[in-house]
Amino acid sequence: MAARGRTVVSLGIVLGLVAGTVWFTLWALHSPMDVQRFLIRLVVISLIIFLAVLFVRYFTLLWFSFLQLLEKTMQFEVDDASLPPVSIIVPAYNEGAVLGAAIDALLRIHYPTFEIIVVDDGSSDDTLATARQWEGLHGGVEVRVVAKANGGKATALNAGIAQSRFDFVFCMDADSTIAPDSLRAAMPHFRDENVGAVAGNVKVVNRENWLTRLQALEYIEGLNMPRRAQGFIAAVNIVPGPVGLFRIEALQEVGGYDTDTFAEDADLTLKLSAAGWKIVYEENAIAWTQAPRRVLDLVQQRYRWTRGILQAVRKRKGILLQPFPDFPLWLSAWQMAFEGVVWPVLNVYGHLFFACVALLYGMGELLLYWWVLLTLLDLVAALVTVSMEEESLSLVPLAIVYRFAFILFLDVIKTFAAVEELFRLGMDWGKLRRVALSAGGGASVS
Amino acid sequence: MSVIDLLITIIVVTILVTIALGVMTYIAYKLRLSRRPTAQGQGASGPRFFVVYEPPVPASPAADEHVA
Repeated sequence: MAARGRTVVSLGIVLGLVAGTVWFTLWALHSPMDVQRFLIRLVVISLIIFLAVLFVRYFTLLWFSFLQLLEKTMQFEVDDASLPPVSIIVPAYNEGAVLGAAIDALLRIHYPTFEIIVVDDGSSDDTLATARQWEGLHGGVEVRVVAKANGGKATALNAGIAQSRFDFVFCMDADSTIAPDSLRAAMPHFRDENVGAVAGNVKVVNRENWLTRLQALEYIEGLNMPRRAQGFIAAVNIVPGPVGLFRIEALQEVGGYDTDTFAEDADLTLKLSAAGWKIVYEENAIAWTQAPRRVLDLVQQRYRWTRGILQAVRKRKGILLQPFPDFPLWLSAWQMAFEGVVWPVLNVYGHLFFACVALLYGMGELLLYWWVLLTLLDLVAALVTVSMEEESLSLVPLAIVYRFAFILFLDVIKTFAAVEELFRLGMDWGKLRRVALSAGGGASVS
Repeated sequence: MSVIDLLITIIVVTILVTIALGVMTYIAYKLRLSRRPTAQGQGASGPRFFVVYEPPVPASPAADEHVA
């Protein structure tokens, strides 16, 4: 379907959902008293269920995160002789502005033996030329460059993996910077032969405006906390694109990255999990990534994430119906579906419903208590998770805005994206603009 | 208006405005996606305002020799 045609269908879906919501509200207003009484009961029951789900989710995640943290403190000593060599794969498509800095940072990591494989995915800018400048040996570390026709990130990663000479590969994004001790922290997890992948900890580097600071908090509270909790049961459901370490044997067994979803990282993780491999989390394997600076770029990113994750779940929807024998896998697939569809829709319609009820039926105090509870919950979760990651406490007060508007805003976008995925509307990758960050604070846009 | 009522008003207005902004932003995102250059600008008659300069092809010595 042409882009213009898709836009028309998308806008039709938006208008349909908005019109349906308004129609239902008006219908409820003009319905007989017994129906209205029933609706009020429904509101109270919905409120209780909504809060119950929210509390169970938060406390389960917080408890498991805490247990994972306790386990982490009991971990082993690492000596260089026990660390196997690793191939670092850097897929790059039009990343000329940031690629040099990424390679430079990689050459400074603290790890005994590794190679860097830069895969240019048919870029139209100077990515390949920049990569070629770094090709060769740099103090014992070889930088290799693979040039291929444009085929998407999954094909670039597969090309890099195919060129790997070692038993472990570290996949990252060209716009991310890896903390020097990331590999050293993540590799010991592979002492367990059943571990197929280690998910790292993604942090926002460009905390320069309110939007990117909110995303910094979201990465800590909304993304890393669940990942840490999932790590406790060795069933992380997304090994993030900017920082993921894999056992080659596991990748070969599942056939590497598939190209039929827009979230190749979620898809591969689910595939590895379904094949029985343990997927764990390592908080000290850190990748600093650039969060979208502009609202429409953020919308574009979340639209792609939501649809990509739902595509990955749909490919393996059978898992959702089989809680046994692999309960952690079932839990992890359900969490993906829940966070992708159920939660955003519940959150948007829950807020809308309660706001309407407060306005129309004078139940404002109920809404206030509900909101205060949610905000307190978010503040506590933010405080705990920010402390766990030893991050700046200045992020904690943002939890009020986070609950008040940010998550609700994103959930509106996710709801529309989920509905479009339901109708299987065509979509594009949507390349984000990247900015080269300099030490002096200067920036250039690519 | 009591403090409680004020808070309730702020919460309700913020919820409704945030949802409305979310819907509007999504529409804006979709509209931006549909804005793409089409081939119509260079219609069948070619570029309208300027003619692309094509340098004359120099005669190659090999061709000259062949002709000679």
